[in-house]
Amino acid sequence: MSSNSALQSDRLHWAFALTALACALLFGYAVVVDAGRPAQVQQRLVPALGAVDRCELCHENPKHHAGLDDAHPPERFGCTVCHGGQGFATRKEAAHLVSMDWERPLFSPAEQAAACGRCHLGAQAPVPQVAKGRQLLADKGCAGCHAIPGVPRPDFAPELDGLRDAVSPGFVRAWLADPGKLQASHRMPTFRLNSEEIEALVAYLWSVPGPALAPLPADLTGDGERGKKAVATRRCATCHKIDGRGGDVGPDLALAGMKLQPAWIFTLLVDTHRLRPHTRMPGFRLAPQEALDIATYAGEEWLADSGEPPWKAYEAPVEPTKAVQGKKLFADLGCAGCHRVAGQLGAQIAPALDRLGDRHVVDLPHTATGEALPDLPSWVARKVQLPTAFDQKGGAPARMPTLPGLTAADALAVGTALASLRAVPLPATLLRDHDPPELRLPAGQTGRLIDRFRCLVCHSIGGHGGDVARIALDGAGARLNRAWLEDFLQSPVTVRMDQAERMPILGMTAAEAQQLAAWLQGALGDDRVPLAEPATASAEAMSHGANLYAQLGCPTCHMAAGAGTMKGPTLDGSARRLQPGYVQTLLSQPALVPANRHAGIQLSAEQAAAVAAYVLGLPAPQAP
Amino acid sequence: MGKWLQGIWKSVWRIGWPQDERSAVKAMLSSLVLHVHAPKIRPESLKFRASWAAGLISLVLALQLTATGIYLMFYYIPHPDAAWRTMKDLAFVVPLGTLTRNAHRWAAHAMVAMVTLHMVRVYLVSGYKGARQANWVAGVGLWFLTLALSFTGYLLPWDQLAYWAVTVGSNMAAAVPFVGDDFRQLILGDRSVGESALLRFYVLHCVALPAILFLVVGFHLFRVRKDGGLVVSENAPGGGRGEEGHKLVPAWPHLVYRELIVALAATAVLLALALWLQAPLEPEADPSRTPNPAKAPWYFLGVQELAHYSAFWGGVFVPAATVLGLCLLPYMDTHALGVGQYLPKERRIAQALFGLLLLFMAVTTVIGTLFRGPGWALMWWPQ
Repeated sequence: MSSNSALQSDRLHWAFALTALACALLFGYAVVVDAGRPAQVQQRLVPALGAVDRCELCHENPKHHAGLDDAHPPERFGCTVCHGGQGFATRKEAAHLVSMDWERPLFSPAEQAAACGRCHLGAQAPVPQVAKGRQLLADKGCAGCHAIPGVPRPDFAPELDGLRDAVSPGFVRAWLADPGKLQASHRMPTFRLNSEEIEALVAYLWSVPGPALAPLPADLTGDGERGKKAVATRRCATCHKIDGRGGDVGPDLALAGMKLQPAWIFTLLVDTHRLRPHTRMPGFRLAPQEALDIATYAGEEWLADSGEPPWKAYEAPVEPTKAVQGKKLFADLGCAGCHRVAGQLGAQIAPALDRLGDRHVVDLPHTATGEALPDLPSWVARKVQLPTAFDQKGGAPARMPTLPGLTAADALAVGTALASLRAVPLPATLLRDHDPPELRLPAGQTGRLIDRFRCLVCHSIGGHGGDVARIALDGAGARLNRAWLEDFLQSPVTVRMDQAERMPILGMTAAEAQQLAAWLQGALGDDRVPLAEPATASAEAMSHGANLYAQLGCPTCHMAAGAGTMKGPTLDGSARRLQPGYVQTLLSQPALVPANRHAGIQLSAEQAAAVAAYVLGLPAPQAP
Repeated sequence: MGKWLQGIWKSVWRIGWPQDERSAVKAMLSSLVLHVHAPKIRPESLKFRASWAAGLISLVLALQLTATGIYLMFYYIPHPDAAWRTMKDLAFVVPLGTLTRNAHRWAAHAMVAMVTLHMVRVYLVSGYKGARQANWVAGVGLWFLTLALSFTGYLLPWDQLAYWAVTVGSNMAAAVPFVGDDFRQLILGDRSVGESALLRFYVLHCVALPAILFLVVGFHLFRVRKDGGLVVSENAPGGGRGEEGHKLVPAWPHLVYRELIVALAATAVLLALALWLQAPLEPEADPSRTPNPAKAPWYFLGVQELAHYSAFWGGVFVPAATVLGLCLLPYMDTHALGVGQYLPKERRIAQALFGLLLLFMAVTTVIGTLFRGPGWALMWWPQ
């Protein structure tokens, strides 16, 4: 060995000592660092949700606010599916914050609401933000361009066949440029079109034929005065705004006389559904004379104050050569997503939003001004409120139109509802569909009548339909007598004086009214109401009922025998209208009353029978 | 008692601690592990310039990778539903899990680099000539196995980085004419990276490739020993045969001690890296979310850069020709001039060509790694 000492110098010993020491120290340091790891892991495993949540290492005995705990026990849901964050993590910053390998930090309030929406489906989900957002998605017609699960294609945009027969090109040009200037409460979004594009669209629309207009009867003359009366008696204002007052189911008629051709108005009134198969307007049964009177009245009265249409500046001849260009533009803009042409809706041209919730806000573009949005719902909200917000310099401008009448809160609700759409579905056992079950209407004669008179535009059944009538038709068959229904359908009297919306006079025939009344009574019953024979009460019971009626304060709302108020329905002659079983039951079960206006009034069965006997014994008012 | 213990010690270590040159030689010859070295070696071989310790460090890294890999296998589950989660468990729950994963990751990258460096050195000193022809080819095979091990291991964390790097890598394989698609299907077990690919890569990474690697390493070292150890210049002291032979020094302790120090130093550096440099992890693999750009592992980015110009010429032909050329090299370049010298006069053209090849590989790799952004567009600022 000694002979080779030159080769085995002290330097080697030093090197050995140093490297060995370095290894020992570094490994020792690693062990010390590792000792900071929790010795015992507390975790909730929810395999169905893929959750491994170690939140309870720090958060002991997590408690939700009242009501949520019972329905959402951590054993069943874990933590992160609702709250976000990284369940695997055992350190606070890794659990709460965004990192290279974890893109879903703790949820913001909007993201939490969106998480609720993953299980709670439907526009009536008990999550206010999400429910509002879903309602808005339907109301704003978002599904015209985007495929959105649970949101139906919009059906409120007018068909555009034969538009040239209805309005002037100037009106269409002005409307396309800025619908808000012509109608404050418009639903069509603004497409930021230039005049050339508008001209091309008009040229195309003017090339689309529509159903032939009914000829104005030559032997009749319209009378504006009679027309005005007809508009009032037919109760057009239930759906249309007339002189600033009325409903908003149909368009405001303020400028209808200026906007629409008289022959078109006449055709719409006498042959509504041939001209506009998808309109929400019922098929009134109007005599040609009455229709002509209304058209005449419209032409005389529904005009601009100045006498000149506000779209006068836009009037110019149509340039038919641009129709081809316009047709392409019509398709590119996705107009046919909402407006039917030749009975057909077009494709949804924009990206499907069925997995929007999977997007991470970090992947999405910043605004043109460089602002980064904090979470996905706010990103979507910004996009919905200002579609051009994320346009990049030199990039293609956004195609999405600007939606009218959307507040910041509305936009955030839309963003929240959309953020709840994730590609990976949660287990079916956790899902709750809050949408009403599908409505099956009868086919045949009854179905055609329901369709012709558009009953469900104002009335609802099983959660489907409009709420103009306020009181759902569910259980109507248990409430109302068939004979009364037949009369009412033919000539609707006003039952509730406090309600501005009144059933229009549709002009049903006796046979039609019988058919619908039979269906209402047969199909829309109520299990809670017994079928009772008309009561034949003793005079003693009647006077007991009369006393109770007064004591309970019924006249505060109801008019009977010349006393009381008109807040509720008038009760004189109600034996003809109401079924005895219903009257008895509602007095003892206030929840039975539509719109629950009897809340707080709950009688014993014996009291209820007495009051019912009194009320149903009230004589009908004498015809004057 | 002491005698009894000494008996046990003697039964294992039969020679005893060498006391003189004779027992040192005997120790080298009688030990399975140590007889991988000749009992006496040329003193020139001990110098750093003789080996750069690149081969040794490659072997040390292979052993470290085996050790850390076995520990990781205790926890790893090769299934898409679970693989990424085990990364999370390693990070948050497993004792020394982060350290082990980091060490495994950095050792793997280092091994690709060291094996390449080793090959470069052997080329420069003409270590593929004469009796060493076949061993050079075995070395090329080991280089290829190292890349294959690294590539198969790259998929296992099942994060976005892994998923898309392997998708890109396997797509490059699909550019092979005629059999490319079948070849990709063979390695992936499917048309795209998924459950089958993960299982295949796992088995290859943990069983098949390491087994082959260590068999070839055995052959490689055996041949080095039989061919006279490191290639040393004829002009160096002890470089010639015959009369200079008496200047040899015993491998024990001169070589063995140095090797131990190098192994310890490599371990210390690896520990330091593993402590202070986190192995990357991205969100869980999501086949519906393609990163832009999707990049292969760094050592394939030169090829990906070439494949960007032409899938066949750049992605298949050039790499295949390079590997084939490396294998044929010892049978084409056979003259014995300048052996053992780094920059001999006689090999200027050969060294220049090789230098150009290295430069080409380095430049394409650097461009592919640092200067390619979304859409594989050239970025003037490193990404």
